[in-house]
Amino acid sequence: MTEHSEESPRRDNSAELWLLAEAKKVRGLLVFVVLLSAGIGLLVVFQARLLSMACQRVVMQGEGVASIMSIAGALALLAATRCICIYILEKKSASVAAGVKQAVRSKLYRKIQALGPAGLAGEESGPLIETITKGVDELEPYFTRFLPQLSLAAILPLMFLIIIVPSEWRSSLVLLFSAPFIPLFMILIGQGSEKLHRRQWGRLSRMVGHLIDLVQGLPDLIIFGAAKKEAATVARVSEEYRTATMAVLRVAFLSAFALEFFATVGTAVVAVIVGFRLLSGALTLQEGLFVLLMAPEFYLPLRNLGLSYHARMQGVADAERIAPLLAKQLPEGFAGTVPAPNGAPAIIFEEVSFRYGGNRGGVTGVNLELPSGSITALAGESGAGKTTLARLLAGLARPESGRVLVNGQDLTTLAPDSWRFRLAWVPQSPYFTSGTVRENLTLGRPCADENEINTALEAASASQFIGRLPLGLDTVLGDRGAGLSGGELKRLALARAYLCKATIVVLDEPTAGLDAENERLVGEALVRLAKGRTVLVISHREQTLSHVERVAEMIDGRIERVVSATAFLTPWEDQA
Amino acid sequence: MSWIVRFLKISRNQWPWMAAGILLGVLVIIANTLLMAVSGWFIASMAVSGSSGAAFNYFFPSAAIRLLAISRTVGRYAERLVTHEATFRILAELRVWLFKRFEPLAPACLERYADGDVAGRLRADVDALETLYLRIIAPLAVGTVSIVTGLVFLLCFSPPSAAVMLLFLLLAGIGLPLLVQRFSEQPGRRSAQLSAELRSRVTEGLQGIEELILLGAVDRQATAVDALSAKLVAEQERLGRINGFSLGGMALFAGCGVAAVLLSASMGVASHQIHPPNLVMLLLFSAALFEAAGQMPTALHLLPAARESAARIFELADAPAPVPDTPVLSDMPAHNGINFSNVSASYLQCKPVLRNISLTVPAGGSVVLTGPSGSGKSLIVEIMLRFRNYEGSITVGGIEIRDLSKDALISMIAAVPQRPHLFNGTIRDNILLGNASVDEEQLQFALRDSCLVSWVAGLPLGLDTQVGLNGSAVSGGEARRIALARALLKNAPILLLDEPTEGLDGATERDVISHLKRRVGGTATTLLVISHRPACLELGDSVVHLERDL
Repeated sequence: MTEHSEESPRRDNSAELWLLAEAKKVRGLLVFVVLLSAGIGLLVVFQARLLSMACQRVVMQGEGVASIMSIAGALALLAATRCICIYILEKKSASVAAGVKQAVRSKLYRKIQALGPAGLAGEESGPLIETITKGVDELEPYFTRFLPQLSLAAILPLMFLIIIVPSEWRSSLVLLFSAPFIPLFMILIGQGSEKLHRRQWGRLSRMVGHLIDLVQGLPDLIIFGAAKKEAATVARVSEEYRTATMAVLRVAFLSAFALEFFATVGTAVVAVIVGFRLLSGALTLQEGLFVLLMAPEFYLPLRNLGLSYHARMQGVADAERIAPLLAKQLPEGFAGTVPAPNGAPAIIFEEVSFRYGGNRGGVTGVNLELPSGSITALAGESGAGKTTLARLLAGLARPESGRVLVNGQDLTTLAPDSWRFRLAWVPQSPYFTSGTVRENLTLGRPCADENEINTALEAASASQFIGRLPLGLDTVLGDRGAGLSGGELKRLALARAYLCKATIVVLDEPTAGLDAENERLVGEALVRLAKGRTVLVISHREQTLSHVERVAEMIDGRIERVVSATAFLTPWEDQA
Repeated sequence: MSWIVRFLKISRNQWPWMAAGILLGVLVIIANTLLMAVSGWFIASMAVSGSSGAAFNYFFPSAAIRLLAISRTVGRYAERLVTHEATFRILAELRVWLFKRFEPLAPACLERYADGDVAGRLRADVDALETLYLRIIAPLAVGTVSIVTGLVFLLCFSPPSAAVMLLFLLLAGIGLPLLVQRFSEQPGRRSAQLSAELRSRVTEGLQGIEELILLGAVDRQATAVDALSAKLVAEQERLGRINGFSLGGMALFAGCGVAAVLLSASMGVASHQIHPPNLVMLLLFSAALFEAAGQMPTALHLLPAARESAARIFELADAPAPVPDTPVLSDMPAHNGINFSNVSASYLQCKPVLRNISLTVPAGGSVVLTGPSGSGKSLIVEIMLRFRNYEGSITVGGIEIRDLSKDALISMIAAVPQRPHLFNGTIRDNILLGNASVDEEQLQFALRDSCLVSWVAGLPLGLDTQVGLNGSAVSGGEARRIALARALLKNAPILLLDEPTEGLDGATERDVISHLKRRVGGTATTLLVISHRPACLELGDSVVHLERDL
């Protein structure tokens, strides 16, 4: 019941190449792990030698307990040595895994940040989060299980075979010829089940979440009298899930079956051959028993490799997500060097077009002027392109055609950092981290002093509710700002913008979802924030629009008209 | 262990499958240990008769070896299929049981899961219960039964060997896992906690990435993520080392166990209590028996977490229904007028939100309820739907609603709740939930009245577009309009709308409102709208303002 990426399989092996490249960076430790495992294999050989020697003495030579005391002691010593070696091995494996995970996660997260919204277009945040957290964790078995097992499957059987040949070459031949069937059948069956698995996966993963979906929607089911009926659906979907999964498993388990079949039958054949050689007196019990004890050990690395096949599939599935992200080109148009101008800038959108790869949304041929120090509202239906235009102004995306001019200078030629320093941005749902109010407030300016903070809080009508918090500015906000109401968080975001000393301010729906009282407070804060700055505010709320000078109305990605706020708020019928 | 008994009771219909899976598991281990034992005995006997020249009937043992080899392999395949079959059958049983239990509890009692990642935690808990048999019950049962059977076998040949094996199997199968469990308790809990912290840190970082870029705080946030990740990875590394301790201990006990059996059985051979070839048999049998103990540590390791998950789920399932369904009347209300008199209600027992509210919506009339957030507007919808209790009196058609059966009451009401849920399916599925028996024309009317027509027409798959998990593939405004269409389709005599136009822009909002007025106005439908948007005021014959009760 593990989860896999839902994506269709890419048939190239770039993901696996990436994994191997990562492995190369920890090659020293990996080689140590493999060598130590091989050493543990040798201990097994010694154990088999000692046991068969003891049996020879007691069974064949009729010697007493005294003659095998030292052997039993050596066996116990061997067990202790093995115990220590295994501990060291697992410890090293764990540190290999830790190194890889930490390095990959850090690199991946920073890369995703560097790509930014412009470079991540088309990626949904849910799967990205999954990849950074769980996906990176799931790489572990590839490095700690699959890679070492792969090397051991090549080394150990060969080593054991060489050791067995002098004792009994006939049995060695049985082992030698049965061994290749194991990987062969495993691959054949494994591929079949992988195909089946991939085909079924989309359906399966939907069924897994079915119950949770229904439980979350129980109130709605009750409202529509469907709750009792849905119990039958739960039963039906679970049945379908069972049938579909069992169809996959029947095939998937075949590969383990093939593996065990050859290993077990091989061991049984060796036992019979050894038995008849012993009967004919051509072999001593010591040698014969040694060969019999080594037969299952010969197959063990191959079986372990088979078991770690899942680790490989998991690792590759995750690498298929991670490697392309790491290889992604950084978006173009963010390499400007000219410093941004001081003072409230004048902005001109010149025939600006940006369409998200032809989907809905986006803007086409927008011409709009925001005079220096002006406050302009952007109104229009959802999907008309308001947020897109704001993002273009903020420099989060670059126009596909046309230009955004800042005091006559193309925005793409400005150094991104210096432009961002001049800009304050309040999105629809502002970012809050689980830290203190102060940390959240000073994100943009960690060095802000108490006076500046107080002025900003005052301007954003936020000092009152901050004062009511038990620890004031040092109160810890819960996850995603929990603990403060939506209106209070909006005002906190405004205070943060105020603190930024920006010369241009972009606000996206600052009053959406607020009640009248909060809307009034935010509106007043907006006016204070706008002083001496160029402001663009997205809103269709009358309260907010009453504070602005001009309203630009957007329809279908175009600027329909630019009018005064009063003209905009007068209903159409009255204008006629 | 009462929780396991309870789990077994719930899944009692699947006992035959569960027992069959355990039986097959035991058979596989017995076949394997016997295979090794017979092979050892066979070659030792062959060696003895080879050197002494005595006759030895090798036909039976070599046939037994072949038979055991095949039973082991086929048995393992069958065991895997049967245990998984049992698991999925239990899953179906358990899910239906859970769903039926949860149904009368929603939504008030399920809010316990509301802190943090609701779906994630519920899913993990349900998952832990669903795989309880496969991961815990079956391995423990198989291990215990095999070990006991194996010890009985040893007892027949050499009681001292059975005794030393008992000691080492107990150490390996119970002592070691308990020790490991104690070591891993703290890092296990820490890593689960850090994992959740990392996830929320990454989530907020990605969702706020634009703002972080513009605030120049990207690097600082990445450093915070790195630090959390390093802590998590360190705990995971500790768990890896503890696993090494467990594996090493296993190897130590198995090796020492075999050495002890060698000594004890050799004494038996010396005192002629054990036939010499049987020494080899006992040695190989004992070595193989440790395989049975090998699966116990993993199962025992999972036990505490599974117990916690089960405790959470059973506690949830056992909660008394927050609103009892005890109808005393069987007749339906004569009309659909609503009357609240002196109604008080609260989300939590201690904090009343609504106090002595009185309100009348005449049959066929409409009222808009406004007021600041926190004034309990949404609570009014929830108590009307009997999701929560109330004090005072609420009547529909003159009948107290707590005297009606919930089903009868709900059949009279259609509602758009404060946070409507979209189910992972198509837009059509989600709308038809309101009323599956409508014809295409009625569906089109509902689409029109919730202003969905042009949006749906623009979608390549139209009404068959998937809405995604929790409606993730549609916007908030679209989701609300789908919920509105769903409610309109039900054609109930009472319509409750909680913020029907939230997330809509001005033009769409006006459109929705004018359609609603046309659809409901002049009909016998009683309409109660809750909104703080001025545009919605038009929907009511009268407006009631609710103040926050401080």
